[in-house]
Amino acid sequence: MAATLDKPTIKGKSKSAQMRKYGFFPGCVAKESCKELFNSTMLLADRLGIELVELTAASCCGASVLNDTNRDVARVLNARTYAQAEALGLDDVITICSTCTGHMRAANKELLENEGHMGQANAILGKFGAKYDGTVVVRHLLWLLIDDIGLDELKKMVVKPLNGLKVAAFYGCHIIRPESVNGWESARNPHSLEDLIEALGGEAVDYAGKTRCCGFHVQLEKDGIAPNMVGQNMRMAKDQGAEAVLTPCPLCHLALDGYQADSVARWGRTDLPIFHLPQLVALALGVDPSLLGMNKHIISPGLVLQQHDLAPAHVA
Amino acid sequence: MAYTLDIFRFDQATDEVPHRDRVEITDLPETATVLDALEHAKAEIDGTITFRRSCRSAICGSCSMNINGTTGLACKTPVRTVLKSDRSIAIDPMPNFQPMRDLVVHMDPFWDKYTRLKPYLQPKDKDSDHATERRVSPEDMKKLVAVANCVMCATCYALCPVVSVDPAFAGPAAIAYAYRFIEDVRDSKRKERAAQISDDYLWLCAHCYACSYCPKHVDPHDDIIAVKRATIEEGITDAAGPRHALVVAKTIKATGMLHETEVIQGTVGRFNIRGLIKVAPLGIRLALAGKIPPLFLKPVPKVDEIRLIFNTLEAPTL
Repeated sequence: MAATLDKPTIKGKSKSAQMRKYGFFPGCVAKESCKELFNSTMLLADRLGIELVELTAASCCGASVLNDTNRDVARVLNARTYAQAEALGLDDVITICSTCTGHMRAANKELLENEGHMGQANAILGKFGAKYDGTVVVRHLLWLLIDDIGLDELKKMVVKPLNGLKVAAFYGCHIIRPESVNGWESARNPHSLEDLIEALGGEAVDYAGKTRCCGFHVQLEKDGIAPNMVGQNMRMAKDQGAEAVLTPCPLCHLALDGYQADSVARWGRTDLPIFHLPQLVALALGVDPSLLGMNKHIISPGLVLQQHDLAPAHVA
Repeated sequence: MAYTLDIFRFDQATDEVPHRDRVEITDLPETATVLDALEHAKAEIDGTITFRRSCRSAICGSCSMNINGTTGLACKTPVRTVLKSDRSIAIDPMPNFQPMRDLVVHMDPFWDKYTRLKPYLQPKDKDSDHATERRVSPEDMKKLVAVANCVMCATCYALCPVVSVDPAFAGPAAIAYAYRFIEDVRDSKRKERAAQISDDYLWLCAHCYACSYCPKHVDPHDDIIAVKRATIEEGITDAAGPRHALVVAKTIKATGMLHETEVIQGTVGRFNIRGLIKVAPLGIRLALAGKIPPLFLKPVPKVDEIRLIFNTLEAPTL
């Protein structure tokens, strides 16, 4: 059966969800500069009792940049990745990066909606004996947490509630926009991260910057652009009382964690620690904080974690 | 249905700072749009409330404004879809523009970026006597249909986060218009147009898809990506943007992965000492936090398949 595009989540209905065994596409950044994201995802999966089968021979999704050079190559590369999941009997590919989510879903949509694209991909895949049957759904870990585990169940699993830690959700772009590709929740008014923060015992902080761009994709194109976009958004979060920020995307993490120091002149000091999605969930679910790699962040979350009695300052 | 319009008020001729007026609306039907409510307020309550509007049917592109925090055409926004729980609607001028009076803004920067494109056909036989019409196949025309729906309402420009921090960026609408001529088979200035839009910071587009909220479904982001490909095809690659795209392709072809450290060097230029010094502070901060991305990457298993895909599709790399 082909994947259903209108209902991208197929709430707990995928074969993978029933087996609690998913294809796992960590993406490049979680294997390179944000290894703490990869490690905390695996620790969280263990705690949730789900199996993430890493697609080790998969390629980069194209990172939104490959389309700038050739219209077909990212789509065919992703078809190859989906074929690998199918060969393992998995129909649900879980990502931990918004850019991977958005671009892999866009490629899948093109493959499923256009016979020409599917034919082109399979003609090339056939040269090395692979074939994509169109059964894969790509989802973000955030969607898995809410649809397959469920907020009520997560609440029951919390052993170390966040004690009112004031957390601003930073959605960024590719997990919500364009809505025609993602469509899991409203792109204008998403609230899944806030729901999750509250379920973990934190206090969600609302601010206008939560669905704006972090600037990661243009950080090298011209000086000052990314730091300015980071400063603008973090200023808004800080002014609403945020003590920390939660993001589902390692690219946003790199920009928000890395560029606050460069935006002080225009936007003032913000110094907001940035959490990867699985770090904060794993922390609340009782995973040893010293295993979550929070000491690898530029802006240390040590102090706020200590203030809320969540971890001794030295582990982060 | 009763609600309150909370309207931004400002007159550049007399006011130092803006203020807000609250106008109660009580007697409009359920189906009223935000523009209906504003016109009612102007006609019945306060004749000085100023805004642009003309067609009331999303054709003229005049009435784009910020409605409860999101920008769009007032004539296409039903009141009931935007009411906040306190039954109010905050109405502000489009962001990324200087306000002139109330909801009217100075549109000049937007028009300037458009006129710089020479937004008219420049065919090869411009000076000949046009013995035959210039014909376009339906297939070639199909590429231009979506962008022809642009009404230049500037909603995308107002929503663009790059414009908000760097007004030099051409913005989505202008790049979509560049696409309209670059992809027109009758036009003869493809290379010149590609060079012009590159100079206007085409490559500053951050791929954020904020312009996917286009009220006319032009969705400029796909056009922006097409214009980037056209500039590479035309050989305009000596800038950070195209180098970045091409070095990303190179590292994926070589290893299967986007190799962060090589991408940074390839984009900035391995021998561009000044450029490398500029990116150094972040690198140093990362290194101090113990975050050192690998300098060398082992190719993923079956990387030959990935290279075959690149080669079959003749995908360019650095």
